[in-house]
Amino acid sequence: MAGKKYNTPLIDDLEKGPWPSFVTEMKKAAKNNEMANDALGHLEKCYTTRKGYWKHGGIVGVLGYGGGVIGRYSEIGDEFPGVAHFHTVRINQPSGFFYTSKALKEICDIWDKYGSGLTNVHGSTGDLVLLGTKTEALEPIFAEYSSRGWDLGGSGSALRTPSCCVGPGRCEWTNYDTLDLTYNLTQEFQDELHRPTFSYKFKIKASGCACDCVAAIARADLSIIGTWKGPIKIDQKEVQNYAKTMDINAEVVGMCPTQCMSYDGKELQINNAECNRCMHCITRMTKALSPSGERGATLCMGSKAPIVVGSLLSWVIVPFIKLEAPYTELKDLIRKIWDWWDENGKPRERIGEVIEIKGMRSFLEAIGVAPQPQQIKEPRKDPFMFYTDADMVKFKAKEAEEKKTGKYNF
Amino acid sequence: MALPQRKTDVGPPHYKQFLPPIVQKNYGKWKYHEVINPTTMVHVAESGDKLWTVRVASPRILATDTIREQCDIAEKYCDGYLRYTTRNNVEFLVSDEKKLEPLKKELTAKGFKMGGIGYGITNVVHTQGWVHCHGACTDASGLVKAMMDELYEYFDSKRLPNKVRLAVACCVNMCGAVHCSDIAVVAVHTKVPEINHETFKNMCELPTVIGSCPTRAISPDPAKKSIKINEQKCMYCGNCFTVCPPISIKNPEYDGVAIVVGGKINSLRSNPKFSKLVIPYISNEPPRWPKAVAAIKHIVEVYAKNAKKNERVGEWIERIGWEKFFKLTGIEFTFQSIDDFTFMRDTMRTASTFKW
Amino acid sequence: MEIEELKTKIYAFCEAAKGKKKLKEKDIIKGLSEAEGIPGDEVKKALRAMIDVGKLMYSYGGGASSVEIPSEEYLREKGLIK
Repeated sequence: MAGKKYNTPLIDDLEKGPWPSFVTEMKKAAKNNEMANDALGHLEKCYTTRKGYWKHGGIVGVLGYGGGVIGRYSEIGDEFPGVAHFHTVRINQPSGFFYTSKALKEICDIWDKYGSGLTNVHGSTGDLVLLGTKTEALEPIFAEYSSRGWDLGGSGSALRTPSCCVGPGRCEWTNYDTLDLTYNLTQEFQDELHRPTFSYKFKIKASGCACDCVAAIARADLSIIGTWKGPIKIDQKEVQNYAKTMDINAEVVGMCPTQCMSYDGKELQINNAECNRCMHCITRMTKALSPSGERGATLCMGSKAPIVVGSLLSWVIVPFIKLEAPYTELKDLIRKIWDWWDENGKPRERIGEVIEIKGMRSFLEAIGVAPQPQQIKEPRKDPFMFYTDADMVKFKAKEAEEKKTGKYNF
Repeated sequence: MALPQRKTDVGPPHYKQFLPPIVQKNYGKWKYHEVINPTTMVHVAESGDKLWTVRVASPRILATDTIREQCDIAEKYCDGYLRYTTRNNVEFLVSDEKKLEPLKKELTAKGFKMGGIGYGITNVVHTQGWVHCHGACTDASGLVKAMMDELYEYFDSKRLPNKVRLAVACCVNMCGAVHCSDIAVVAVHTKVPEINHETFKNMCELPTVIGSCPTRAISPDPAKKSIKINEQKCMYCGNCFTVCPPISIKNPEYDGVAIVVGGKINSLRSNPKFSKLVIPYISNEPPRWPKAVAAIKHIVEVYAKNAKKNERVGEWIERIGWEKFFKLTGIEFTFQSIDDFTFMRDTMRTASTFKW
Repeated sequence: MEIEELKTKIYAFCEAAKGKKKLKEKDIIKGLSEAEGIPGDEVKKALRAMIDVGKLMYSYGGGASSVEIPSEEYLREKGLIK
């Protein structure tokens, strides 16, 4: 299928050098594909003029769904007809990005038949992204993939495709089954994922420990970060092995943020009551140290990129939750969170922004979570605060009780 | 041929069918892992089983033929199983040590680049850029390619005090965790957008456009049935353009990139941090953005020379102080690095204890 | 209320907003259930049934999703009209 051959000197330069080249990938696809070929010419034009030519997302999708396809049209479709329509299809990835070659090849075969042959493995949110197809191919693409057990991912004002770290699949540090939780939540909330009913996007990301390999704390409305409650178990023999190649005092003890460790050259000691479970020592001495006791996660909420009024990292909402199938407590909590957001959010307001506007108290009360010092870095500075009538009744009752017992209860 | 019957709400396939047998057997029972070198690590299970991982770079944009090549390799050495990482690398998992060297040999022969494990630089998280996004004010894939060509030694061999996580965002929407990276490039506009008043009234909702502005620079223009933008207040974020296509903000001459540093997402040692602005503007210079790339490489080198082992870029800077960071790197300190948006209260210095 | 009657009312509600306000699904559910005294779940069910057959559609613009009456172009693409 020989199409127009574009002269692409600027992007050709990006085929040189050691790092794998996306231009080489585009050329590979362009050999047999008119859309990919025009995408090359289109990109060279961007490089020449230093300007993009894609229009705002259009209204395209598959019947019944409100997401999973990102409409994309070029302003200069006449010049590059192969990318006049160049829509993205998001395929919901399997938990942990594990595949068999058979499954991946099948995905590729279908995509070559209907699309540009270009992909992102994966997109930022986690979906397997199929890059560039025409409107009339969308229904056939959906029929082909869905009949083989693949569904579309989320887009628009909906639950976005949840994603997770590799977890129990290949990591000794995970505190819950990130793969199973992600699969389970994705299945539970299929309706919220495909049919946009929220004020704006809602992202869920699951990391098994504080290393946070999916960056949940920075980019998920609900960041599920694994943690534990028991002491750190120490294998002193392995500590000695590490001591042969590592300055344990400089690299581990001295870098502990809570200074709860000591090492005298023979034995490593940890004052677990002072440990904040940051994971530094465990990651440096994984053969010697491991978490123990009750496992679960901390639920944090609200993180997002700068738009509109500044970036946010997620805030601790639930300091500890156990996460075991069927995850009923978490699912109930998520529904309460969405109900509150639905009541209080305006269009295009992420939940973190709504919490900021309406106040943490309104949010916590609505979802039934008590105020706890683990939620804050420090208490408020200025004494401007709300007192409800109920608060005052409570404070007064407490004092009355103290008068009776003669014992203060602060 | 007739199309198969579509199904809705099937969700993703169950992950278990894609887990290699050794992973299924030792699921949740891993004991420890060791980084052997930047290309390879080994995970050891409580059962004593060992699983070697070889990590391979990816340009994220993959042609289906490349995915098929990866599959062929997985079939030959990994019983047909493979996985990808959050940072878009591909990983080949081997349970038989004898297959490890032949696998690496074939990867090398086929031109795949191995590396990215441990204290170095791995793949760059990035956005779509000119390849596929309407809002892009630079190309992310090109910048990533240019950066990684220059920093390649840190991917496959040379080590750093800790990981350096890089990211590129082609506008301030920042799809991906660019705002919490050790070093990141974010593309910026620098000029007030222009409004097409004729098409505005048919295409845009007034309250939405006014509400989209973080600095309240937008007000109604009843005469034109459109809006006006207060040039004194506009910070060129482009959010009005996102909600309203007749507002145009692209400017090939003045669009460019800024460099932010010192972010992290894990909680190791210190809490997760945002990246902070250190270089406010570098012109877009496709195809290789030489000045932006040089700036990043320079910051990496100064960090490598000065940080203590295990310190991330942000932790190193916090220990030495930002004033020292600007001094050591020789980066000019500009007004743009002083917050005048939402965080001034938290970011100004309130003590005389700084370094000269 | 019969489901067909409800669907007619939902359609009229969307038609009235056309070109004036981008309706979110919850606006329609809230609007109809308040005006007609019907439980929100029933409105949602009827609305979904309409979306499933292309009587209404999910739309997207300016970063947010909404529900609207489909264009002829959309209906033609879906093979719902000739």
